[in-house]
Amino acid sequence: MSLVLDIFTIVAVSAGAFFFLAGTVGLLRFPDTLTRLHALTKADNLGLGLVVMGLLPQAEQPFAVIKLIAIWLFALLAGATVGQLMARAARRERPTP
Amino acid sequence: MTIPDFLLAAAVFVLAMVALGLVRILRGPEEADRMMATQLFGTGGIAALLLLGVATQAKAVLDVALTLALLAAFASVAFARSASSSKGDDPKETSRQ
Amino acid sequence: MRTISVRAAMARGAGFLGFWLLLIGPNPADLVAGLCAAAAATWTSLRLLPPGDGRLRYAALARLALRFGQESIMGGADVARRALSVRLPLRPGFIVYPVRLPPGPACNTFGALTSVLPGTLPAGVDDHGALLYHCLDVEQPVAVQLAIDEGLLIRALGGTHDDT
Repeated sequence: MSLVLDIFTIVAVSAGAFFFLAGTVGLLRFPDTLTRLHALTKADNLGLGLVVMGLLPQAEQPFAVIKLIAIWLFALLAGATVGQLMARAARRERPTP
Repeated sequence: MTIPDFLLAAAVFVLAMVALGLVRILRGPEEADRMMATQLFGTGGIAALLLLGVATQAKAVLDVALTLALLAAFASVAFARSASSSKGDDPKETSRQ
Repeated sequence: MRTISVRAAMARGAGFLGFWLLLIGPNPADLVAGLCAAAAATWTSLRLLPPGDGRLRYAALARLALRFGQESIMGGADVARRALSVRLPLRPGFIVYPVRLPPGPACNTFGALTSVLPGTLPAGVDDHGALLYHCLDVEQPVAVQLAIDEGLLIRALGGTHDDT
């Protein structure tokens, strides 16, 4: 059983790390502020979600599990709100037709 | 390779991705580009902290990650508010927040 | 502000206290701090977000949450595919989406929900109150997806106007 959970952890954390890689590559390669914001908010949020999911089986007490999920939800909420606020600000800085 | 070793390696990898992303952000050119650093730390930094915390079974690290999640969100919202009010246009849009 | 029902305040206070207990742990010595924090959080939330009259429909809310999860996976995978592709397939641009929800919390929730859709990012409102979306690929059927999300959200919030 613990082997199955360990494999789940390795797969999920590796997938999460892959999305952090993709987010950074997007941040480096995408041409303007708004497209870079896409890369940052979408890929990194998914990466964090996968990392949290992979860590859940490794948490020792139930409180740690709840705390991990709470952190994830906070980051998700913040990412979804902040993404659109920053997009608004970026659009104002350089008005696009 | 044990699970804690794997989690530590993943934490180092995610931190490296955050560092690479910071290079892009330091180059700018716009303010919104720079503020993406908080969002990058808000997701990548939290993921690295959570990986570290679970790998070393240091419970306090989870609280640090929670605080970081909140602070990153506040910083980005504050930036978006100040960016839109300093431009001074379209008060209707800012009041919608 | 005086007309806020005691029931709504109690429900929110209990929710905040429960969340505080989950984070800190059930230690009787800490409970005074938890009660203070929950009271402050309840006061703030009632001030900033007074309870509405619409009732949440939990089945529709669950469907919305499921769709949100699927969309965030698809959105992340879409960005990853474009970022790692050699040709860098981007056709960035704006589309205008005439939103049916009234301005306010519901509309802001819609913006937050749809910011995870593949290839879209809400970027403010235009002069007529329609939402502006920045897209990674303007040729994708973004508006169709947005309309599905909006219908689900209206149903979850218990709205009745042009419910399809």
